[in-house]
Parts: sequence; C-alpha cells; structure tokens
Amino acid sequence: MFETSLRLALTLTQIGVVMGIVLLTVAILTLLERKVLAWMQDRMGPMEVGPYGILQPVADGLKLFFKEDIIPAGANKLLFSLAPILSLVPALIGFAVIPFGPNISVEFFGVEFKPFVISDINIGILYILAFASIGAYGVILAGWSSNSKYSLLGGLRAAAQLISYELNVALSIVGVLLLAGTLSMVKIVEAQGGNWFFGIIPNWFAFALPFPQFVAFVVFYLASVAETNRLPFDLPEAESELVAGFFTEYSGMRFAFFFLAEYANMILVSCVAAVLFFGGWQAPWPFLQFHGSLEHLAWLSGIFWFTIKVYFFLFMFFWIRATLPRLRYDQLMRFGWKVLLPIALGNVVVTSIMAYIFPNS
Amino acid sequence: MKFRDWIKTITFYEILLGMKETIKHLVHYKPITLQYPHEKKPLAENYRGMLALLRYDDGTEKCVGCDLCEAACPSRVIRVISTEVPGEPTKRYAKEYYMDMTRCLFCGLCVQACPVDALGMTREYEWAVYDKRKLHLNKEQLLAIGDRAFPVREKQLEFQHPNVAYFNVSFKDIPEKAN
Repeated sequence: MFETSLRLALTLTQIGVVMGIVLLTVAILTLLERKVLAWMQDRMGPMEVGPYGILQPVADGLKLFFKEDIIPAGANKLLFSLAPILSLVPALIGFAVIPFGPNISVEFFGVEFKPFVISDINIGILYILAFASIGAYGVILAGWSSNSKYSLLGGLRAAAQLISYELNVALSIVGVLLLAGTLSMVKIVEAQGGNWFFGIIPNWFAFALPFPQFVAFVVFYLASVAETNRLPFDLPEAESELVAGFFTEYSGMRFAFFFLAEYANMILVSCVAAVLFFGGWQAPWPFLQFHGSLEHLAWLSGIFWFTIKVYFFLFMFFWIRATLPRLRYDQLMRFGWKVLLPIALGNVVVTSIMAYIFPNS
Repeated sequence: MKFRDWIKTITFYEILLGMKETIKHLVHYKPITLQYPHEKKPLAENYRGMLALLRYDDGTEKCVGCDLCEAACPSRVIRVISTEVPGEPTKRYAKEYYMDMTRCLFCGLCVQACPVDALGMTREYEWAVYDKRKLHLNKEQLLAIGDRAFPVREKQLEFQHPNVAYFNVSFKDIPEKAN
C-alpha cells in the first residue's frame, strides 16, 4: 500500500514538474517568437511591459484570463467547450514519453523510478503519433461547432491538411525505426551514442551509418510545421483570409487553450525531432559533456544538450515564419502529396536496403 | 541548365537564400522603430498643428471678427459671432468664436485668410480625447492655446504666404441670379 501510494505521488510530481516546464516554455516562446520576428524585420517587438518587454507573457496571460468568455448564439455548446480541451490535452500528453535526460534509475524509499522520463513505454513514438491525430479532432470540432463560416472553413482546411501531413510525419520516421529496431524513445536515444568517421561525426540518426536520415529529418520537420499549423502552412488559421480560422469565435480562456495547444505542439515536435534524429540528450562530442569525471552530474549536461537542441528547432520555426509567405491551398496539397510523400517513401526503401546490407554498422 | 535548376529545387536553394537574408537582419540588428510616447520625431519648421487665437503684446485680442476665416474654411470648422466693441462703433471684435476640431483638416487656409494675423498654427498635435465634445473649442480655450504656444508672437515671414484671402462662397450664400 505504501509503495503504491509513493509511486503514485512520485509520478504525479514528475507530471507536475514536466507540465510546469512545458507551460513555462510556452510563456517564453510567446515572447521569443514576437522578439525574434521583430528582430528579423528590423522592429523591436514588445518593449513596454517590464524591461525590454520580458513581462509581456504575464500581461498576456492575465488579459486572457480576465476576458469575457463568449459562446456564440447557435453554437453547439457541448462541442464548443469540449474542443479546446480536446486540442490541449493531446498536445500535453505526448510529453509523457519524451526522455529529457539520461536513462538513470533512482531508488527512493525502496521505489525505483526514472527521473527524466515519466513513462518509458515500448511504443513511445506510436503513442505520440496516435495522440497527435486526436488533436486534429479539437481543431475540426472547434471549426464546426462555432456556427461561423470562417471557423467552418478553417476546420475543413485543418482536416485535409492534418491528415495529409500526418502521413508524411509517420513515414519519415520509419527510417529511424528501421535503424534503431525499437519504438521506445529511450532506446532510440541510447542507440545514437558515440561517434563515427574517426570520432568526428556524432552517431545521431540524421548523420549515422548505414544511411543518414537527414532527408527524412527535413521531411519530418516540414510536415511537422504543417501539422502544428505554423507559417508558411497556417491555412487553418490564415488571418488574412479567414479572420482567425477555426478559433475565430473563441475568447478568453478557451482561446488561451488553443494558443497553449499550438505552442505545446511546437515544443513536442521539436522534442521528437531532437530525440529521433539528433540524439536526444547525447552531446555531439564526448569532450562537450561538461560534467567531466563527476558521473553523478551526467544528467546536467544531458538536459543542457537536450534543451539546446529543442530551442534550436523552435528557433527554426520562427526563422521559417519570418522568411516565407503562406502557401496557396493547392500548393500545400501538391507539396504534401507529390513532393514530401515520394521522398519519405523513397527514404524508407533505401534505408531498408542499406539496413539489410549493413546490419551491424 | 535544366539539371542545375533541378538541383536548386530539391535543395531548397531559394528558400535557403531567403533564410540567409532574414538571419542577416537578426545578426546586424538595427531597429527603425521610434518608441513613440518616449521618443518623438522632430517636427518640420512649418508644421501645421493645433489652431490658436493670438493676442497683441499688450494682451488685447487680435481678432476683429471679420469672418474671413469662416469663409475660407473648407470643412466649416469655424463659427464667428462678431459685434461692435462697446463704446467704439468703428471697431468690431469676435464676441464668440468656436472651432469644431473634429472636422479640421489642418490645411491652414484660415491662417492665410486672416487679414490681421490673429490665427496661428501651433506645433501641438497630441489632442486625442475620450469625449469628442472636448474638441469643440470656444474663444477662451483657443486664446489659452495661443498664449501657451506663442508666449512672444514672432512672425516667421519666410513661411508666411503672401497675404491672400481665400473666399469660399460655394456653400450656401450664393446670390440668386436675376432672371
């Protein structure tokens, strides 16, 4: 009995800490996005709230929290209030299988647990993909239940776009799964340790033998940008065409939920990219593990490298957004089905051949 | 040539060029933003801001109530009610003088029309108010603006238009034709 309750308490603490970190990162991202975009466009971004505007997320959060919560007349009340939750929960639930640091076990009053991954299940990546598809329901239901033409158009676009691009996300990671031979996120990271080519190139799946998955990574990243509805693929919420797309009619906390879901999805996608293609918590070269001979501090450098990689991919989101204008709808579909899908399929074929010929490299 | 284009397409060459351009602006960060309420743009010498009524150096009003500004105004901002100066039948002055600044387009025609130089354009421009009626100014308010904007009235002759009055008679007081 004691052991069960202690295990429950430990897991709940882990969940609380991870949720706190993710929501804090979302707050940082909202500011960082506006700042980075502004810097790239020779502007300053938010400057008024606090020094250099660093308290802007707090002001935004307070504003959204105290805003009036409106349900439009003619909306389906149940689905209208269900949709934000349906899109936020799958975005947050994916973090349960992300390994943030080294795979070490800690014993705490006779209960063993892994401090840096909430649950190391053996179908980790499949679990993330499955919940990402449920997130699409939130968007589509929000569009349908608002009783507004803009929302409906946004929801319809989201349905087509999310289905087309989820296919590319799933197919682009098949190569990694072939090389790693497992679906568990922790084991995938552990398979990427060490260096090859005289210790120069890290053994991450984006660069590793027998077949570097860099092309697959590009496909994965582009499809993920489309799946998180970010520019240049933000057609479901195209503000110059559809006001705000599927969340046009939302305000206050419900709108904040969609906002949180979008940014949490960005973080999740960056975490998955770091774990699958860029070695998770592994440092690029052994001498960059700054813990030196203090083995019990290895988790510090692990978390440091993981954070660096995730923030680099998040910066890439903003960088792409600052560079490219929005695609037209037929361009989006053509790019997904005629460019990304053949590349992903070809990558699967070539990777399987190479993995068959060189099974142990 | 075809092959090079194909290579450029599959390596996202043009997109990478664009991304290089944006990162260049991030690295060499020179904002062109003016932090408006804290920093302000320098105004031009002949900036046409808020209108004001002026006084002579001894404190008497310049305005003689001739209505030429009202006639010159294209937006019908100005309303003048002029009477004789009590006890001096040869002199007139504006008993009441109203300006509806919600309609003013700051063209400066009234200033050019004034034969005694009683109107001036100050360099004030931050006149946003919560109540629109506050922009309906009377004579005292306009004189107060003039007093604070021009403590010493100096004519800037180089910016003064030759004193040509513009008569705009097209509004209502067109005399009927004889036939």
